[in-house]
Amino acid sequence: MDNWDLTPARDLELAGAERHRSYQRESGLLSNVTRFAWWSVVRISLAVLHRLEVHGRENLPESPSFVLVANHASHLDAMVLGATLPLRLRDQLFPLAAGDVFFHTPALAAFSATVLNALPVWRKKVGAHAIQQLRSRLTEEPSIYILFPEGGRTRDGSMRPFKSGIGMMTAGTNVPVVPCYLEGTFEAFPPETFIPRLHKVIVRIGRPRTFEHLDNRRPGWDEVSGLLEADVKALAENRSPSPNRPTSHWN
Amino acid sequence: MSEPVPEQRDYRLSLTRRKRRSGLLSHRGEVILAPPVQAGTERPFKLVGLDAPRRGRESGHLEATIRERLFGYEQALAHPLSVTIVGGVVAGLIVTGALILALRRRISDDVYHAAFQRWRSWCWLVGVIFLPVLAGALPTMLAVMVLSLLCFREYARATGLFREKTICAVVALGILLVTFAAIDHWQDDRLFFALGPLVGALIVVVSIPSDRPRGFIQRVALGVLGFALLGFSLGYISNMANVVHLGGTGADYRPLVLLLITAVELNDMIAAVIGRTLGRRPFLPETSPQKTWAGAVGAVVITTALVAAAGGWLFSGTPVAHPGWLIGLGLLISVLGQLGDLTLSSIKRDVGVKDVGATLPGHGGLLDRFNGLVLVPPAVYHYLSLALGETGPLGSEAPFRILTGSWGG
Repeated sequence: MDNWDLTPARDLELAGAERHRSYQRESGLLSNVTRFAWWSVVRISLAVLHRLEVHGRENLPESPSFVLVANHASHLDAMVLGATLPLRLRDQLFPLAAGDVFFHTPALAAFSATVLNALPVWRKKVGAHAIQQLRSRLTEEPSIYILFPEGGRTRDGSMRPFKSGIGMMTAGTNVPVVPCYLEGTFEAFPPETFIPRLHKVIVRIGRPRTFEHLDNRRPGWDEVSGLLEADVKALAENRSPSPNRPTSHWN
Repeated sequence: MSEPVPEQRDYRLSLTRRKRRSGLLSHRGEVILAPPVQAGTERPFKLVGLDAPRRGRESGHLEATIRERLFGYEQALAHPLSVTIVGGVVAGLIVTGALILALRRRISDDVYHAAFQRWRSWCWLVGVIFLPVLAGALPTMLAVMVLSLLCFREYARATGLFREKTICAVVALGILLVTFAAIDHWQDDRLFFALGPLVGALIVVVSIPSDRPRGFIQRVALGVLGFALLGFSLGYISNMANVVHLGGTGADYRPLVLLLITAVELNDMIAAVIGRTLGRRPFLPETSPQKTWAGAVGAVVITTALVAAAGGWLFSGTPVAHPGWLIGLGLLISVLGQLGDLTLSSIKRDVGVKDVGATLPGHGGLLDRFNGLVLVPPAVYHYLSLALGETGPLGSEAPFRILTGSWGG
């Protein structure tokens, strides 16, 4: 028989907002149940109110870790991407959210951490240390990130150039990155509105890429973001490179 | 010839016996408590399970008793011992607060802030614990439920059990059921006692289908230990809140529960103060390096004396008022209080953490504060039930099955 293996929660010594903002956060039963309720409601309302259509679901990797990247037009985006995944992965799914918006006050931080399971990205001062923590979490334990490399929501509907943060997290690792294109979320929930409109939403999921061959340095990072930007643009022009495979492990 | 059919016995208690057992009628037949509800004083809720067909003029008394017990904040300070304990603790907080302020100039800022933070946490704790106990039986039970759930959360996070969601869900369910059992109050607390083995078994059973035999014993044992200490054992405090006439005296559960909690916390503090000032020889250095023999013995002596004195007052006129029983009660609270503390110390040492949480600034987690309480309630409950003899077990004078009625026979 093995020795007893008691590993306390990594965030045991943190409390309140400090804990909610931490990359070390580990969640328990209460968040698990809350997220079940949240994602159930999100999936139903997306299906009913936005007639969500998902293309290319077979491109999703079989199990974590992986990263979903997409164009960013509204607060619906992360919910749409999350809704393409099976409900059982809800505790391994971490949308990377703007710290200055989603973790600004302790109450917001509690909501973002407990319900959304979001991890904060502090846009004004993204430290190398923070990126390193996100990178090691991705490689060391099964996790799924939702990331919008544009670094913010588009204000006019057109896509902005991708930033290199995604490269800093994945260059030189075998973590698959899945490019996705979201259509209709800008019309459904533009940045300056407060209530989503009933607009159809389509998500196209492209073929995953891995960046094992690239160096974890500036040129590698830029190449990662460039390749993914091209992938998302290709999906936007409906030149989806994904053939329909007969067997799908999600069904 | 067929034999005469024996008369069918109705095993349910007759109304008179029910009322007698629920303390409404004395054995000689006089009504001994529960004034009839006066018009306009009814509270806006309905008790669902009271035997509907039996409702009549008399059951008005029963409902009034139940309401009185569950929500009767008017009785909050009815017993002089409750007044003494609450007054003493509040006075103690005021004095220490004033002392911290007075010493501010003479101590360093760090010491001052640490002391003030700790004092503020104590103020919160006293409010959060005393107010529900004084407010009535139902608030007490709900407060114990919340305490159990929060303590279990800390325990699970410290031991890593929180990663086993199914086991945690069963323990949480067990804590809710324990609270339900205390509120409903079956005859002789049968439902409450049944929950110990049944929830334990359920934890074992739900761990099977995940088909991971590796670590099975560890997961199951952690779950069962967590429920036993933090669900079932703390749940005894809920169960004690059913007491209406403690051993036939005029006291309800309040002085007993207040005495129990205050004595355990005081015991902990005395052990720490004496242990640090006078103590030299470490008690169990591997488990808890700060504790000394002097502290342990000093706490046993002082706590036993205090509990025996308070108990003599509370139990006067009952068999427990005998010095032997009173000293036994004091020893039980003091020794088990310290052992509870050491139980949590052992768990923390095994896991390798200093505190089980960071909920209370200056104290650590809730469980770091309430660890002394995890072994005491069941022992005190059964000890008093035994000592009270005829009038025991505790709470048997209160109305039974107020939610389930005669459901299930």
